[in-house]
Amino acid sequence: MKDSIIEFDNVSFTYDGTEEEQKERLPAVKEVTLSIKKGEFVSVLGHNGSGKSTLAKLCNAILIPQSGKVTVCGMDTADESLIYDIREKVGMVFQNPDNQIVATIVEDDVAFGPENLGVEPKEIRRRVDESLKAVGMYEFREYEPHKLSGGQKQRVAIAGIIAMRTDCIVFDEPTAMIDPKGRAEVMETAKKLNRENGITVIFITHFMEEAAEADRVVVMDDGRVLLDGTPARVFGERETIRKIGLEIPSAANLADMLKENGIELESDVLTPSDCIDAVYEAARKAGVCS
Amino acid sequence: MIRDITIGQYLPGKSALHKMDPRVKIIVTFAFIIVIFMCKNFWSLGLMVLFTALCTILAGVPMRMMLKSLRPVMVILVFTGILNIFYTSGGNKLLEFWKITVTDKGIYTAVFMIVRIVCLIAGSSLLTYTTTPTMLTDAIERILSPLKVFKIQVHTLAMMMTLALRFIPTLIEEIERIMNAQKARGADLESGGFIKRAKALIPILIPLFISAFRRAYELAFAMECRCYRGGEGRTRMKQMKVKATDIVASAVTAALLGAVIFLNIYFKPVIG
Repeated sequence: MKDSIIEFDNVSFTYDGTEEEQKERLPAVKEVTLSIKKGEFVSVLGHNGSGKSTLAKLCNAILIPQSGKVTVCGMDTADESLIYDIREKVGMVFQNPDNQIVATIVEDDVAFGPENLGVEPKEIRRRVDESLKAVGMYEFREYEPHKLSGGQKQRVAIAGIIAMRTDCIVFDEPTAMIDPKGRAEVMETAKKLNRENGITVIFITHFMEEAAEADRVVVMDDGRVLLDGTPARVFGERETIRKIGLEIPSAANLADMLKENGIELESDVLTPSDCIDAVYEAARKAGVCS
Repeated sequence: MIRDITIGQYLPGKSALHKMDPRVKIIVTFAFIIVIFMCKNFWSLGLMVLFTALCTILAGVPMRMMLKSLRPVMVILVFTGILNIFYTSGGNKLLEFWKITVTDKGIYTAVFMIVRIVCLIAGSSLLTYTTTPTMLTDAIERILSPLKVFKIQVHTLAMMMTLALRFIPTLIEEIERIMNAQKARGADLESGGFIKRAKALIPILIPLFISAFRRAYELAFAMECRCYRGGEGRTRMKQMKVKATDIVASAVTAALLGAVIFLNIYFKPVIG
């Protein structure tokens, strides 16, 4: 397929380690076949241990599958000579904002990636400024990272990735350790980069509200892909979602409850803004407001 | 509160000293220290004191900050003074009781030594006051880079220094969090004798170490994801350039060296 950026072909992965570790970590990823298209915003959902983080690490050759094949822009991740070419294409933002910032000054940290790639100093400067502006952290370029909030640190980490001119960013639960305000900032930044810079985004999360905003939702369970489709379709499978212990977005939940009580909403409701529109529309039809 | 801590003792500013190439600054500071040790009488030492004072004013470092940097060496200063007063032989006797004699030469030597140490500390503090820790490590990496010939991993050392600096505030925050967590579980960290207090530290140090190792592991992942593969083929965003200021500073230091040698020969030495 020509327009796909990451291709999983029947991929299985098991962590090695002591028996105890294996018991704890199994199952990781089992026979996953998945294709991520260029420019997509895909969110990956799943509860703890469903293999979603492993899936992320398989994307840029941090982990190499034991069977099956992962290809990034046509490059096989098992080929060790291509490792840095692959990582130049697919960047990664991790959960803990503190453990991925390398330098003591924001702009130096953003420069770290391009410096590793051996980019010309002037070009690095340009990219750093550009990336910091893209994530809205340009005014903070001379700050020390420990003086920033969680959301701001994550945005610096994102800037560090886009300064490398990656085509795709994998977010591995970037919002799990930060406050709701920071969470919104990170989500906004990811959406903006996807929309304006055409960067493919793989957003791993366990917040349903975040997943609902993606173009496509992949639900993982027990190392397998359980559901894969548009948010409306995936969250339409209420029973399956509930069965594996995930919740459906609270806006959709509210719509369900309204339905049970005889208030029919016209459109599919997934995000809070959908919900407001639909409820307003229903109220107008019922003649409650103008 | 903890967010306010600054690593190192950098004082932001835009003076000529701030703008100097950090490499030249380190070398000039070393030269300055050597020149101070060459001083043999009050004339040459006085010149150095004057120079240090001028530099302090030029850098815009407040006197208060300079005095603060001297506080940790106070004990050494007092000790040096006392030792020199009582153990210098020769000169005119001023005071004599029991087995101790105080001579004028002893007092001169004591004052000389104290002034010399103060000058030394003030001069090197100027370096850290006007240079960020990042610039310092960068400069050290570049100054030491010829050592690559002897297979010394200069880049790795500098990277370790940078990462250490980066994680100091993070780990301080962590210690605070662990201490609070242990206090909440009834740990008593403040009372008891030395051994009891040292033992009370164990439940703080163990979680700290475990978390530090986990951080290191994740950081290594993150660095690999950003294509880090050691110093080989790496470029730097911030280039260092020797500017006119640096040449002037080097010339001034050289002139200082000349002047000190001249004053040493021309006037009678106090020591040695």
